[in-house]
Amino acid sequence: MSVAAEDRLVLARGVRLRFDPVRNCHVLLAPERVLFPCPTSVAILERLREPRTLSDLARELASEFDAPEEEIAQDVAALMRDLIAQHVVRVERRAQ
Amino acid sequence: MSTFARDPWTEPPIGLLAELTHRCPLACPYCSNPIDLVRRERELSTADWLCVLDQAAELGVLQLHLSGGEPTLRSDLEAIVAHARKLEIYSNLITAGVGVSERRLEALAQAGLDHVQLSVQDIDPEGCDRIGGYRDALARKIAFARAVRRLGLPLTLNAVVHRHNLDRLEGFIDLALELDADRLEVAHVQYYGWALVNRAALMPTRGQLERSVAIVEEARARFGDRLLIDFVVPDYYARHPKPCTSGWGRAVIVVAPDGRVLPCHAAHVIPGLVFANVKDKPLRWIWQESPAFQRFRGFAWMQEPCRSCPRREIDFGGCRCQAMQLLGDPEATDPACSLSPHHTRIMAMADAEAAASPPTFRYRRLEPASSC
Repeated sequence: MSVAAEDRLVLARGVRLRFDPVRNCHVLLAPERVLFPCPTSVAILERLREPRTLSDLARELASEFDAPEEEIAQDVAALMRDLIAQHVVRVERRAQ
Repeated sequence: MSTFARDPWTEPPIGLLAELTHRCPLACPYCSNPIDLVRRERELSTADWLCVLDQAAELGVLQLHLSGGEPTLRSDLEAIVAHARKLEIYSNLITAGVGVSERRLEALAQAGLDHVQLSVQDIDPEGCDRIGGYRDALARKIAFARAVRRLGLPLTLNAVVHRHNLDRLEGFIDLALELDADRLEVAHVQYYGWALVNRAALMPTRGQLERSVAIVEEARARFGDRLLIDFVVPDYYARHPKPCTSGWGRAVIVVAPDGRVLPCHAAHVIPGLVFANVKDKPLRWIWQESPAFQRFRGFAWMQEPCRSCPRREIDFGGCRCQAMQLLGDPEATDPACSLSPHHTRIMAMADAEAAASPPTFRYRRLEPASSC
């Protein structure tokens, strides 16, 4: 599934991100599944508790990590496609 | 997404399956509960369960599967869910969805329930009643599913499939879409507990299996962005065995209604294992040190062909309970594996059972206590 720059993305229904003090890392809890996101994914997933567009994410991350927005946008889009396919993130179709 | 690079056999458990009660309004002939069901008098108290959750959270449990029997028959379910939420444990209600009012569901949602998994025995009302042994079950289940979605809770439909309902698999997919379910589990019966007793009545033909694989693949291609479909194939026709419970004592911890703790809900079929009770021992000790949990950890217990097999770290030799049930040896290679010397015989048995006309069901029932 392709993601357009202005699609609004959000954690899918029933998906929770939390820190696990026992394993000392973040965990992503979903129906019948537990995923262990890497720190970069965590930085993005934390923002997706509220709906964000790809452009929002790229802009925010570029400023936080002091990196070129265009490069970040590509990486984020690839990760989002993966997480959407895994039903961890969903696209809100209605435009803002 | 990355997984841990540590020794998998010393990891904390990820999920806790809480069999809150063995009482159930339904009588499905493939129930995974043991034949020897736990009676209400022996069920853990609310305080016992809250204490189990405290210990589970400390041990590293991330998800709680509230199961049974029918977990909503426990009037303290809201308190258990609320406690899980307080501990940040993800709670999943596994229910038959009959006799649960919308008000009750609302109370569970308010207590912090994360997800609902609803069983649907058949999409044909008569078939549904016949398999569950319960009248007008389907209409109640559909009303329950709509209430789940009205409350904004995520919904999984769980379709256990077998020779009597497989020809209506497309209908299960349509129903999941119509009910706005997030997930559909198409699970071929696993032959343990009551299902083993009823195996000949349930075993599908190879043709039915192949058709179900094709239907699921097509549905994934068509509806994959709306509906996540998980598919469990029947062991007996498989090439490789399932990595049962992701390895013995590795990811899952099961607490039975009376407080006994098992590495798998079927583990009681293995003779000689002693299951400690949460009323006597700390959960951490049971998980880390009790002999029953140590019994099949690692690879040292394995026989050939498992011991030298490159797949041993993928499927852990398959299921210990199945090896016990079918071969009488819990250390043998699961005969569901094509590398087992007994595989051909097991498959031929499945073929023969599927080809014969099905015997009548032996329904799952708690026999009335004998009065003496």
